[in-house]
Amino acid sequence: MLMQSSLRAKLQEAFRLRMYFYMTVTAVAFAALLLQLINLQLIQGKEYKAKARLNMESNVPIPAARGDIYDRNFREGEKNVVIVSNRPSFNITTIPAKFKSKKKLYEILDLLSRLFAINKDEIINEINNGNPWERVVLKEDVEFDTIVKLASHQDRFPNIDWEDASVRVYNFSEMFAHVIGYVGSISKDEYRKLKLEGYKHYQKIGKSGIEKQYDRLLRGRDGYVRRIVDVRQRTEGEEVGQRPIAGENLVLTIDYNIQNTLYEAMKDMKGGAIVLKPATGEILALVSKPDFDPNLIISKNNADVIKQLQKDRERPFLNRVIQSKYPPASTFKLVTAVSALETEKATPEKSYYCPGKFTLKGYKDHDFYDYDVHGTVDLYWAIAKSCSVYFYQLGLLTGPTIIMRYAEDFGLNQKSGIDIPGEVAGFVPSRQWKYKTFGQPWFDGDTVNMAIGQGFLHVTPMGMCEFVSALVNNGIVYQPHVIKEIRTNDNSRVLKTFPRKKIREIPLSPLTLQAVKKGMRMGVMSGTSGRLGYLKVPVAGKTGTAQTRSIRQEKYSQHAWFVGFAPYESPPENAVVTVVLVEYGVAGAASAVPIAEKVYTRLNDLGYFSVAPAAAAQQPEAKKAGAVPGKQVMLPQPQVQPKKNAAAPGVPGQAPQKKPVAVKKTD
Amino acid sequence: MLFSKEGLSKIDYALVIAVVLTVFIGILMIYSAGFDPIDKVNNGLYRKQLLWFIFGFILMIGLAIVNYQSLGEFSLHIYVILIILLIITTIFGTPVRNTRAWLNFGVFSIQPSEFMKLGLVIILAKYLEIRERDITRLRELVVPALLTFIPMLIILKQPDFGTAIIFIPILLTMLFVGGADISHLLSIVLIATIAMVVPMVLTYREWIGAEGSNFLLDFFQDVNLLLVVSGVLLLVTLVTFVLHFFSVKKFLRKIYIPGAVISLGLMTSVVIQKLFKVYQKRRILVFLNPDLDPQGSGYNIIQSKIAIGSGGFFGKGFLKGSQSQLGFLPEKSSDFIFSVVAEEWGFFGALVLLALFGFIIFRCVQTAFESKDKFGALLASGIGTILFFHILINIGMAVGIMPVTGLPLCFVSYGGSNLMMSMICIGIMLNIRARKFVY
Repeated sequence: MLMQSSLRAKLQEAFRLRMYFYMTVTAVAFAALLLQLINLQLIQGKEYKAKARLNMESNVPIPAARGDIYDRNFREGEKNVVIVSNRPSFNITTIPAKFKSKKKLYEILDLLSRLFAINKDEIINEINNGNPWERVVLKEDVEFDTIVKLASHQDRFPNIDWEDASVRVYNFSEMFAHVIGYVGSISKDEYRKLKLEGYKHYQKIGKSGIEKQYDRLLRGRDGYVRRIVDVRQRTEGEEVGQRPIAGENLVLTIDYNIQNTLYEAMKDMKGGAIVLKPATGEILALVSKPDFDPNLIISKNNADVIKQLQKDRERPFLNRVIQSKYPPASTFKLVTAVSALETEKATPEKSYYCPGKFTLKGYKDHDFYDYDVHGTVDLYWAIAKSCSVYFYQLGLLTGPTIIMRYAEDFGLNQKSGIDIPGEVAGFVPSRQWKYKTFGQPWFDGDTVNMAIGQGFLHVTPMGMCEFVSALVNNGIVYQPHVIKEIRTNDNSRVLKTFPRKKIREIPLSPLTLQAVKKGMRMGVMSGTSGRLGYLKVPVAGKTGTAQTRSIRQEKYSQHAWFVGFAPYESPPENAVVTVVLVEYGVAGAASAVPIAEKVYTRLNDLGYFSVAPAAAAQQPEAKKAGAVPGKQVMLPQPQVQPKKNAAAPGVPGQAPQKKPVAVKKTD
Repeated sequence: MLFSKEGLSKIDYALVIAVVLTVFIGILMIYSAGFDPIDKVNNGLYRKQLLWFIFGFILMIGLAIVNYQSLGEFSLHIYVILIILLIITTIFGTPVRNTRAWLNFGVFSIQPSEFMKLGLVIILAKYLEIRERDITRLRELVVPALLTFIPMLIILKQPDFGTAIIFIPILLTMLFVGGADISHLLSIVLIATIAMVVPMVLTYREWIGAEGSNFLLDFFQDVNLLLVVSGVLLLVTLVTFVLHFFSVKKFLRKIYIPGAVISLGLMTSVVIQKLFKVYQKRRILVFLNPDLDPQGSGYNIIQSKIAIGSGGFFGKGFLKGSQSQLGFLPEKSSDFIFSVVAEEWGFFGALVLLALFGFIIFRCVQTAFESKDKFGALLASGIGTILFFHILINIGMAVGIMPVTGLPLCFVSYGGSNLMMSMICIGIMLNIRARKFVY
């Protein structure tokens, strides 16, 4: 019993000890909690208060209006040609998480899709992939009347909301499609890339053309209303935040009148054309056909229209001036001529006899045909009449390496750096390239083909335009561009002008230039571009007819080229280069020349060639807002100088129909 | 003597008042958490909690009257019934957030795992009382361990990781208070630590793509080497143990006990490393360190800390806490109710609540000291342990020094089962206190 009780006392004592330990541990734990509380609430209290404030403030965006876009004749305070502007509109929106169930949400979407032609599946997809508390736009660009109706039937459309929106208006629809481009909802990829620059997931972004290139200037900065919100973005109170800052306005180098003329001239064709002032690189007109109406595709409602356009085999989104490559055909004869003259392989007086075909001697003789029998021709006549036999031989005489080098010097295998995104470079072959690609050396047949712009060569119309610019501008090429100046949104101040930027200088002897230009002039006077001979302004030009293997039914198809400039023999400050390419045209002379004819007539009517050379030389870029060359448009000045026109043949000779040049690969 | 009036006549009013005060703070906070400042409506959870409280209060008084010693007599019955309930719940329970922890009775639902905690404490207290003199032996620990692991495994199956994990500190504390050999307990803790730390460190380094290595890491990375080393160690342990069996020499103990601990720990770690999938190990890591998953549980902790910190000394005022009112604070009426207190009533309110809890725990310890019998003492300390770990883990989670477990704050968090369980605990406590002089 005693033993028992002593053991009991021992156990009791051990228990007490352990309970003391237990109590200590408990006390320490409570002390730790207390210390952390002191740390959070008393020591770091201020920082956490700031964090709590950040949590409950939400900035609701007020969309900024995008900048307007004007043509080159813009003058402050006058009625101007507005190419792109905005109009106020409304979007129908909702917050998906506000619906009690997915079923209810789908019911409402169903009802709305019947009323407004909403693409339901796409919106459901968007909702399922996003944060349910983030606002989703169901239908963009709705009229005020619709909103009124919606508001008066709120009971039928629970949780359906609307917001202000600013819709882009392209006033000339398709006419500027490939210059201006269009805007669209920011894509996931774009958002990921541009998030850090302040782009928001709900914003519109330029998708192509100027809208894309100058998006950062055009978009402005969204303002916001500061709201006190809960975690579900419900508003408890509102504060005025920041007002939106509208985007900056752009003035194009493009002249609406010329663009219009060019666009009308190419109405039913396929191809691209560009009108450019080589003295500055300013583009006066740029048209690519087929095209699209940006007004129809900017809204998210029209996603299927975009898809359809993207699937279109005619590829309306393709800017054929800068994104499409073609064999330069006979227009390349000018390059051959320049390289032969510059390297002194030939003089302009060098003559060959053209019997209508040329036989290349070799292991197996091969005939290259011309479209006509030209007799004995010198370089001038060979250019004017586009005599292929002459250039076959001139090409062989000069050698492929030199021709390639000149083609590369002229930048035919480079991008021009035009301020429209998506440009591609042309392609100039080389011996190594051929060996790598085909495992064959460069044959003389390849040289013969290349001399007349067929074979492996592929250039963009932009590239050809730069080449002609170099001829006109004594070897100097300025970067082509479509933006003249950036202005504040109220047009009151010019923020930035774009002085000409030299991108290339090719040392060319005046004799060479003179000879090639003379040939081109003769082509207009009595050669392949004869139709232009009667114009008041002296034009010089070269036609081309390119053959390409086509994926279409016909085995071969033809692209018609015209490259030219005017006025002939006047200082380069006044000159305007025109390059026209018509896909599947009949022949250069028949399809492309009439377009150039209309353009030059219009340019002349507008007085582009009547500017005093000295004045133009002083201010070629027209930096000041007032000194726009368009100013001279209204001046009733007599047309200067058609001294050579008088000598033009009374009836402009019908351009000779070109027979397809039989250029076939023997190997 | 199943019932007696002594329970009521000698009732500890201070404890009752402290508990009632705590529950009322809880109900006020549930009201605040359920209030929608924009629609100006309340979700009405506070009314349900009030009903649960009234029901719980009656149960508390009831348990104060029943002789707690009869709880010991029926401890096995209670335990078995609760285990059956747990199994039924795990199979047929209504899934809430993928966890089958609730038995639905239409108007209300109960969570048997809450009551299981108390059931385990009662049966452990009874077992330890019976085995008081033998508990220093290692083999006596097998039965308590089994009693604990059975409900734990069922709850892990629900799966409710947070609730399951709390059984381990309850077991260890009960064994400690019950008189188990400290070297045994330490060995168990060490084995478990080694078994968990090795795979966790490896998984963590792999997850964050840690560079560099050293001798120790290379050793732990090589599973086969680990097995061989621990096997050799185990062999040495066995040999020394056998030697010790034949000739009792004290220094041998110094070899085979650490040997057993290390080898068993390493072997278990290999088993864990091989058996658990990577995502499971990562889940445990996130449980230990929510910062690894900033979108998930890490977000909750950040919001909770903002709520508490922004409360300052006096708080933002009742119904004026932006974090809770505007919904940034998650699970604000249950898991993070303490953050609502600290935000709206500041450091002052939090301190009052901590003091109330401190008093309740202190009363439990006091009761354990004063109990006339071992069963009562063990029961009181076990109940104190349940309440203490809930408070420590829940508040620790809210202030960011404990992992996120989803354990409720007793008396305060919304939830009928936990409130009832806690009130029953207090009822038993009142009972033990009332009978401390009765023989």
